Amino acid sequence: MKYVAIIRQVPDGESKIKTDGGRVNLEGATLILDQMDEYAVEEIIRLKEANGGEAVVVAFGPERTEEAMRTALAMGADRGVLVTAEGYVDPVTQAGALAKVLAEEAPDVVFTGGQQADWDSQALGPAVAEALGWPSITWTTAFELGDGHAKATHDLDEGAEVVRVVLPAVFTTQQGLNEPRYPTLPGIMKAKKKEIKKIAAAELGVSGSKVEIVEQEIMELERKQKIIDGTKDPAAAAAELVKLLHEEAKVL
Amino acid sequence: MALDFSLTDEQKQLQQLARRFAREQVAPRAAEYDQNEQVPWELVEQLYEIGLLNISVPEEAGGLGLGLVEEVIIGEELGWADMGFYTIPMASELGITPILIAGTEEQKRRFLGPLTERPSLAAFALSEPGNGSDAAALRTRIVREGDEYVITGTKMWISNAKEADFNVVFATFDPALRHKGVIAIVVENDREGVSFNKIHGKMGQRAAPTYEIIYDDVRVPVENRLGEEGAGFKIAMLTLDKTRIPVAAGSVGVARRALDESAKYALEREAFGRPIADFQAIQFKLAEMKMGLETARIYTYYAAWLADRNDPEHISASAIAKAYASEMAFYAANEAIQIHGGYGYVNDFPVEKLLRDVKLNQIYEGTNEIQRIIIARNILKALK
Ligand SMILES: Cc1cc2nc3c(=O)[nH]c(=O)nc-3n(C[C@H](O)[C@H](O)[C@H](O)COP(=O)(O)OP(=O)(O)OC[C@H]3O[C@@H](n4cnc5c(N)ncnc54)[C@H](O)[C@@H]3O)c2cc1C
Ligand SMILES: Cc1cc2nc3c(=O)[nH]c(=O)nc-3n(C[C@H](O)[C@H](O)[C@H](O)COP(=O)(O)OP(=O)(O)OC[C@H]3O[C@@H](n4cnc5c(N)ncnc54)[C@H](O)[C@@H]3O)c2cc1C
Repeated sequence: MKYVAIIRQVPDGESKIKTDGGRVNLEGATLILDQMDEYAVEEIIRLKEANGGEAVVVAFGPERTEEAMRTALAMGADRGVLVTAEGYVDPVTQAGALAKVLAEEAPDVVFTGGQQADWDSQALGPAVAEALGWPSITWTTAFELGDGHAKATHDLDEGAEVVRVVLPAVFTTQQGLNEPRYPTLPGIMKAKKKEIKKIAAAELGVSGSKVEIVEQEIMELERKQKIIDGTKDPAAAAAELVKLLHEEAKVL
Repeated sequence: MALDFSLTDEQKQLQQLARRFAREQVAPRAAEYDQNEQVPWELVEQLYEIGLLNISVPEEAGGLGLGLVEEVIIGEELGWADMGFYTIPMASELGITPILIAGTEEQKRRFLGPLTERPSLAAFALSEPGNGSDAAALRTRIVREGDEYVITGTKMWISNAKEADFNVVFATFDPALRHKGVIAIVVENDREGVSFNKIHGKMGQRAAPTYEIIYDDVRVPVENRLGEEGAGFKIAMLTLDKTRIPVAAGSVGVARRALDESAKYALEREAFGRPIADFQAIQFKLAEMKMGLETARIYTYYAAWLADRNDPEHISASAIAKAYASEMAFYAANEAIQIHGGYGYVNDFPVEKLLRDVKLNQIYEGTNEIQRIIIARNILKALK
């Protein structure tokens, strides 16, 4: 059996991101393995530990993606394949290149993040499945491997459904699928010796992007600091607070 | 061209792992462990799981055989999150180091091998109720009887003593010989006659356990002795020459935290209609903290690099790093409280704990006065 996780390297949510001439400037930002992809890496390592076989990480991205790939290898994945391309490339074009790698790797199961933290896209998993003509199950919260098929729980807005799907298939992750492990220091040292095969996107016949980013801006969060006077009529103040939390803050 | 300050790719990954673990697992629980004077054993277990515990155990004994540069990388990150917690793995390395320095291959495998097999600690028992700085004045007695030694005496202020598998104990077979009469010996905690009293009421680093140990006619086989009879004091000094570097690293972490918290607070807190970060008096404090932090960090790395290369210059360098880093960190923690005003004085904010914790870094593993003695001795020795 072979299990693949498609991963991406993205800025750490704790980093402060700057824009420079209408473009995000990642200089100085900490770049990490996308946390939604961590579930994917954890899942393929667990599948390998439980059933044997090979856990492979595949990525499309700039050269520096290798760092995130080493993290996945330090968690316990066996080897990596990195399709290199600098700059923004839309998910459908990425999927075209990744599909060629996957067709050759011929895995039984593919996992990837339910959402890509950098471009906030949810398209990569389904687009890869589409390009390969494989079924796609999004927002997976539970996964059970069978013989030639798998059973998966797929999150819905107001509940969940359990599906049985013929393999090979692509699954996208959702929080709750598993508890990703930390890489380990021995793992980091071993990862150094694990193979990462690099292929330029152009070698796979992929160049350019169907979508181009023209301008980016950062949302400014403004604190409203609305204070309701509760000293005179506490009941009315409470009602006002609930109303604001419901209508303005939209947290209730 | 040989000068190169970069970390290797693996060291960068190690730093990222330690930083993430410190931020996600250690920092959120630090205040609670401090208030309850509770040993964070679950964190010790997690540290073991991710491979950051007892990293200097050599490969022949089943460990990773890493050096002080790696320890310093980890120390800064854990010190940033909780200096009290970091003292636990740090003091374990203190217990391991004499065995690395003076142990036979057989002793390394016997004592250090088990430390890689499960979450477990080592400890180093030099100080006593009546002497700390003047270590050669120790009074714990060791008497040879056939194939055994019999140890009697009291050790004081010993970090990890009870949680550890063993303590490396320094004892004298003839107090009149002072430093020439010292034996270093590994005493397992499950031997008959060993008992512990936990020391309560510490000002800071309250997560790190500290004990008085009483050895009452404890019998230990001769095979547990490290090096020759009379070599014990030298082994202790060679150990501290290295292990005070992680104290510097933890201090750098504390200072970085002090600066992080201060800069964040200064941008948020307003006085006289603007953020206090607008006042030059506050900006200068931040700048001073940054100057201390950066110089201490680079010097700490330098000392670790010297020690890993076994360059004798590390003896003076480790003393400079330890004294300088712990003092600049104490200064930074103090300024962090000042910048936080009244809020800095209460434990709703993390800065008062930084000061309480880092005070110890000026005292243990040789007080900063003793570090200055070492530094001065090395200056003068070169001229004699
Ligand atoms: C929480 C904690 C954990 C510790 N963990 C350990 C441990 O794991 N293992 C261990 O062996 N010890 C440990 N220690 C002991 C620590 O190393 C000693 O406290 C330290 O070495 C100082 O010794 P002392 O307390 O006896 O002070 P003293 O030696 O009595 O010193 C008192 C003061 O006199 C100064 N002084 C002494 N001699 C001179 C001199 N010649 N010139 C100038 N000034 C001098 C000192 O600098 C200090 O300011 C720990 C201590 C604490 C508080
Ligand atoms: C235990 C305790 C007891 C207290 N008791 C009393 C009491 O009985 N009665 C009472 O009224 N108050 C009391 N206080 C409050 C105390 O007086 C204030 O904490 C103090 O005045 C500082 O104000 P602040 O905490 O709001 O800090 P801030 O005013 O927010 O100051 C934060 C930092 O900015 C600096 N700063 C502010 N403005 C400037 C500037 N223009 N230029 C340069 N630096 C500046 C400050 O020096 C400080 O370092 C108490 C506080 C504590 C902690």
